[in-house]
Amino acid sequence: MALRSGIKLSGIFSGRAVVSTPVASSRSNYKYVGMPAEKDGTLKGDLDYGLNNVFFTELFRGFGVMLGHVFMEPATINYPFEKGPLSSRFRGEHALRRYPSGEERCIACKLCEAICPAQAITIEAEVRPDGSRRTTTYDIDMTKCIYCGLCQEACPVDAIVEGPNFEYSTETHEELLYNKEKLLLNGDRWEPELAANLQSEYLYR
Amino acid sequence: YQMGVKELLGLDKLAKLATTVQKIGGLRAALKQRYLMDVTRTGTLVGEDKFGNKYFEDNSYFMPRNRWVVYPDRVWLDYDATQVAPEWHRWLHHISDETPTTNPPKNEKWVLTHEENSSIFPDKKYTPYATGRTKIQGWKPQ
Amino acid sequence: AVMHRLGRSLVARGMQASRRGNASNAPAAAPEKIEVFIDGKKVLVDPGLTILQACALVGVDIPRFCYHDRLSIAGNCRMCLVEVEKSVKPVASCAMPVMKGMKVKTNSELTKKAREGVMEFLLVNHPLDCPICDQGGECDLQDQSVAFGSDRSRHQCGADGKRAVEDKNIGPLVKTVMTRCIQCTRCVRFANEVCGVPDFGTTGRGNEMQIGTYVEKLFATELSGNVIDLCPVGALTSKPYSFTARPWETRKTESVDVMDAVGSNIIVSHRTGDLLRVIPKMNDEVNEEWISDKTRFAIDGLKNQRLMQPMVKGEDGVLRTTNWEEALFTVASKLRQTPADEKAAVVGGMADTESMVALRDLFHRFNSELLLTEEEFPVGATDFRSNYTMPDGLAAVESCDALLLVGTNPRYEAPVLNARIRKSYLYSDVEVGVIGGKTDLTYDYAHLGSNTKALDDVTAGKGDFAQRFLSAKRPMIIVGAAALKGDKGAALLSKLQQLADKIRTSGKADKDVKVLNVLQRLASQTGALDLGYQPGTSAIRKRPVKFLYLLGADEGAVNRQQLAPDAFVVYQGHQGDAGASMADVVLPGAAYTEKDASYVNTEGRSQKGYLAVAPPGDARADWKIIRALSEVAGKALPYDDIKEIRGRLSEIAPHLVRFGDAEETSFESTAAAVSEKSSSPVDVDVTASQSTLADFYMTNAVTRASATMAEARKAALKEKDNEYTETPKKHAHA
Repeated sequence: MALRSGIKLSGIFSGRAVVSTPVASSRSNYKYVGMPAEKDGTLKGDLDYGLNNVFFTELFRGFGVMLGHVFMEPATINYPFEKGPLSSRFRGEHALRRYPSGEERCIACKLCEAICPAQAITIEAEVRPDGSRRTTTYDIDMTKCIYCGLCQEACPVDAIVEGPNFEYSTETHEELLYNKEKLLLNGDRWEPELAANLQSEYLYR
Repeated sequence: YQMGVKELLGLDKLAKLATTVQKIGGLRAALKQRYLMDVTRTGTLVGEDKFGNKYFEDNSYFMPRNRWVVYPDRVWLDYDATQVAPEWHRWLHHISDETPTTNPPKNEKWVLTHEENSSIFPDKKYTPYATGRTKIQGWKPQ
Repeated sequence: AVMHRLGRSLVARGMQASRRGNASNAPAAAPEKIEVFIDGKKVLVDPGLTILQACALVGVDIPRFCYHDRLSIAGNCRMCLVEVEKSVKPVASCAMPVMKGMKVKTNSELTKKAREGVMEFLLVNHPLDCPICDQGGECDLQDQSVAFGSDRSRHQCGADGKRAVEDKNIGPLVKTVMTRCIQCTRCVRFANEVCGVPDFGTTGRGNEMQIGTYVEKLFATELSGNVIDLCPVGALTSKPYSFTARPWETRKTESVDVMDAVGSNIIVSHRTGDLLRVIPKMNDEVNEEWISDKTRFAIDGLKNQRLMQPMVKGEDGVLRTTNWEEALFTVASKLRQTPADEKAAVVGGMADTESMVALRDLFHRFNSELLLTEEEFPVGATDFRSNYTMPDGLAAVESCDALLLVGTNPRYEAPVLNARIRKSYLYSDVEVGVIGGKTDLTYDYAHLGSNTKALDDVTAGKGDFAQRFLSAKRPMIIVGAAALKGDKGAALLSKLQQLADKIRTSGKADKDVKVLNVLQRLASQTGALDLGYQPGTSAIRKRPVKFLYLLGADEGAVNRQQLAPDAFVVYQGHQGDAGASMADVVLPGAAYTEKDASYVNTEGRSQKGYLAVAPPGDARADWKIIRALSEVAGKALPYDDIKEIRGRLSEIAPHLVRFGDAEETSFESTAAAVSEKSSSPVDVDVTASQSTLADFYMTNAVTRASATMAEARKAALKEKDNEYTETPKKHAHA
């Protein structure tokens, strides 16, 4: 109501009432951007307005839109049967990889531990009985991890990678504190996909 | 595209529904699919993995909905997104277009079979444990 | 990081330089300073300095690999090249002495190009081992290539390849990966000059140059671990520490070593409560930059055979773990029940001053004065400090011109002191005479015999060495504490005091020379004697002792047979060794890395060590256990925290809290006057018990529990069968 009266009263607002000084130029170059007039004053306009009001025309228009959508294909992905698109660079659950011979890749250089911004990785290392340098403890606290992928960037031997798996939710917090065995296990299970992803990505790393 | 009478009345859609139900394998099968998957759709069978998951594709649907997996009957309603095998996981997630049937992975002998997320199975779930050695050894009196 | 230490050691070098060669201590006429321009800045320097040292005075650190301020100059790495005006070629600043008006440019294009070129050459043959190399993170090559190297190299690795070198086996302590070696020859110079073991050398030349022992030999020296600190790359690393940690994840705590009485300053590296390694801290007055192998490698004994829970002997005669209340109540009740003259306390070799004063106060409150140390010493001589410390100080051997060693093998009793003696031997004309065993001390000496009867000959002036000794300007006598046992030891000490007094009063020696120095073997001995403990456990055998309190006493000086039949023995310490096996109650204490404590070294210098890791299990700091015991026993000691107990220490002897300083002693002549004079010679063989490297390794409870020390000892024993080992018959001067 105020808006309609705004047009009528625009004359009032256009400068005369507000200022007390008589030296006010009448500002008449307004561009009104309110709602369009519901009625335009003619009989047809009034009739249109009244009939639309009585018969809830816009409601039926809405119904029609809905009906149309009922027959349209929904945009919802039917998870878990269909899955959203990922890229081969997707950073998900971590895994420790192995060489094709079965030897674990991680050489306990601790570069990943140093670069991790969340200090999620804890490493302890030792001489393995055969003389090589391997970890005894490699823990990633998945709740501290921010999945930035800096560890896989830092690793000189592509041991720690972020795989494409993101569906590893757990019921307790402690299950998300991955230790070395869990990470290696991950790696062994997901190796086909990790290898394929790395194959498609290694030139850009 | 001129809309004929059939299109206006939606009869072509009904015809499509009939062919779809027929392709699925009858009304019973379609109802079963409705119950398990909440959809009624067909697609070309791209492959099957060792767990019995069947993978379908139909590119007339839009991008993320064009590939889907049908879990085997033995899991019934206990289907889980993590039951998908890693080789197919790649294809299903639209990471690549190559399927394990066209490009079989060369799995080394140490690659383990995939298991689903076992957090809900108290006997199979992972609990963290220390993997390092004890740091300080105490003295045992003789 | 070598660079930041340069300034401090320059002072030492300056001190040494002024004494080098001349036996007189008259201040040398200050040499005319030369003006040199470094990067435009004018600086006045002494004429003997090299450009590198002169730049260090200004604050300009020149990168280098082969130069080390405690070794001779080699000049083979070429990383220190700087541009000097009027010189066509860049100049090796570590070797070029400054000249008047020299203009040095350390940041010019030529210098930068030289550095990049040298770095490029060094990296051509260096393997890509950084992720698996232990030196990563503290590697001079890494740091300098980032700072001074170029980002690209012209080396075509695929076409030309890199050279590789076989690893050498030099023992269970130092790991070698010789492919990483950049042939700076620091280890060669260290072995030759500081260790006196000329086993390291270079074979081949050019690309084929290899550093090693030529034939497979153990690097048989008690200072072998120091090459690990010296090597700028990861060619020589610590075998027990290998692969365990990176330097950026460790915390470093300063502390003091207790394996011997020198009190070397160490830095303890640890991470999340886990003790990782020990590296030396520079202290020019005590240990320079070196630490012995025991100090460095015995720490894995601190993780083995630890006492972690209080234990009480049950009815069946077996110790069972219990809680603190039960243990303390048991001990306190026995403490109250036993009469005063049947109580005794024995203190072992690694006890700290705070716990010793707490034990002393506790026993005094119970009217017992029988506080003893395991190590023997003439009882009457502990009244004067000059009788049981080194009044001249450890650093005085550098300015000494005649040195008499009696009944000590400093090579294995105080390796760092021996390195100093060797340094003095190399760079001055000091004469060394030894009364004791004839072993290889890494320097030539006049062997006067192993019986102390030879002492009378020295006093009388018979023989070349005696003549030299009696007329020297700065003579020194170092007598080992092991030689001063029993009555004969007391007599020997008196004889030495007479000799020292004779020298001091003869007028030939300088006025500030104290002459007689006692080299203790145990870290706690000097502190115990300062606090008033009686040396030696003979007092226990004179009367039946029913209550015995052992504070870390593991050398078996007291055993059950010497006590009353129903004696109650309490052992407080950190290793399960002889003492704990004998005890009725075991109270777990903290080791030297696990407590804030202070130790008095053999010079009488009190040094503070800080807590690095927490004591394991239920163990607590030693003085706190005694304080708790006193509270439970009803006579609470008046101190509750470290400040208060150090206040108590200052009440007894103020020098105990003046950390880092060695107090001057002043009663030498009085001590000599009150000592027993006798004209008959002392007849005792004072050959030191440690004569070979294998004897060096297992000397206290920690080293006995250490697997590394056991391996080292095994290797040293096996080395005797190696046909290629040889003991040099003569040691060359520098």
